[in-house]
Amino acid sequence: MFLSFFSDLIEQEFMLRALISGLILGVIAPLIGSIVVIRRLSFIADTLGHFSLVGISVSLFLSVTVPGTLSVILSENPLYFGITLSVLGGLLIEFFRRYYKNYKEISMVIVMSMGTALSAIFLSVSGKTGTLYNYMFGSILTISWDSVIMIGIAAILVFFLFAFFGRQIISVSFDENNAKFLGVNRGLFQIIFIIMLSLVVSVMLESAGVLLISSMMIIPIAASMKIGWSYRSTTAIAIVFSELSVIIGLWASYSIHLPSGAAIVSVNVIILVLVALIRRVVLKRNIAKHPTEPME
Amino acid sequence: MQIDINNLSFAYGHKLVLDKLSLTLNPGSFLVIRGKNGTGKSTLIKCLLGINLVKNGMIFFDHNDVNNFKGWTTVGYVSQVIDEFNYEFPLTVNELLSITKLRKVKENRKLKLLDQMGILEILNENIGSLSGGQLQRVFIVKSILNHPSLLILDEPTASIDKNNVEYFYETVNQLHSEGTTIILITHDEYLDCYNYSHVLQMNPDLSYAFRKRTATEEKEAE
Repeated sequence: MFLSFFSDLIEQEFMLRALISGLILGVIAPLIGSIVVIRRLSFIADTLGHFSLVGISVSLFLSVTVPGTLSVILSENPLYFGITLSVLGGLLIEFFRRYYKNYKEISMVIVMSMGTALSAIFLSVSGKTGTLYNYMFGSILTISWDSVIMIGIAAILVFFLFAFFGRQIISVSFDENNAKFLGVNRGLFQIIFIIMLSLVVSVMLESAGVLLISSMMIIPIAASMKIGWSYRSTTAIAIVFSELSVIIGLWASYSIHLPSGAAIVSVNVIILVLVALIRRVVLKRNIAKHPTEPME
Repeated sequence: MQIDINNLSFAYGHKLVLDKLSLTLNPGSFLVIRGKNGTGKSTLIKCLLGINLVKNGMIFFDHNDVNNFKGWTTVGYVSQVIDEFNYEFPLTVNELLSITKLRKVKENRKLKLLDQMGILEILNENIGSLSGGQLQRVFIVKSILNHPSLLILDEPTASIDKNNVEYFYETVNQLHSEGTTIILITHDEYLDCYNYSHVLQMNPDLSYAFRKRTATEEKEAE
């Protein structure tokens, strides 16, 4: 069963596409996720996922209303609209965050409900509600080359951002009030980060699904921050966990026909539970060995 | 860095906290701010740092209005409490110090400062596992790594235990001798440890006294 899975990975083109996109997302999701966690923005990823679904549904709606080749493009590549709307959603969140200064979480509820409502309306009038399931729970096996390329472009942008501004991103995230003393414009930083996050969220839409995007970003970090000893090690461990869950999730999706996003996230959750259990056992054993030392 | 404060008034809502405060500090001065709780010491510092917004024409750094000031990277600041910092995510002291600076930190200076503050051994430790005093000292090192031309310290010794305070004032005095302008809120018990040049006494009735260090004070310190 495993053997045929691995040979199919290379021989079947759709499997290769799934593998490539999964492996790339396995790196960028926890990388962006680490910053999302540090900045306590975990719900923003979720909100953006819902909002990018508006783009998908608008695209599907237009594909049944406009004639000719444009219709084909819109129906086959709804992700273009998805990305645009996700970025717009990000900017909307930012707008509402500044509008309700002391109740910033209101912004997410507004944008998320707006996103859910609009996508339900457009999907329903387009009559393509059948595709909704794929976008809700992800279907990495049906991903197109176009989407793989977009995931690649998003990854290059993320790497570029981290390579050149990694220090600033990390330091401002840990200590936002002191951004000024680092020569960083906090408002601009916030906008760039939210655009970046919107981009990553929207390219993850097809493989992870709206409901599971944020978990793919957050859960590997949640597991690794309990065993990491530094920012670097924590992020590296999270990437390993993430890649592991992508490969196992892909196998589950291919062999036992589970929705890919759900399978990947389930593996992530299993890893999280295992980490917590093993950590507990190790700590207990340490205490038994060195009874005088305090726990942690 | 030269600092000019002109008729600075500040209120939280209707409650006036600073009333027409004026003073000038030449580059290289060392100002100690004294006063009981609630006399506006921290408020003044927050005005200087642009955290409390003030009208144009009230605060100048090197003749630039604080509201248009661009040189914040040359200002070091350590707050009274650092509980807003994110502790749960793993980050080592070394990482904290190297991600902080935009300019490349000279490795030697970092190690020297850590050693001076008596915390060299925690270089690779996770900041989440440090005591309040150790963490406070890490933040002090962070604020002075880049040779700031102005260093603002809001009761930085509050959570450092008495045995380790010495490390701190020696470092501050050394920075002062190297030409850094220093503004420090401190408890009176440590006052004599610092080579300060000016005193700002703030009172509960919002009056204040700004003066140079007296000869008697210098004698007492000796």
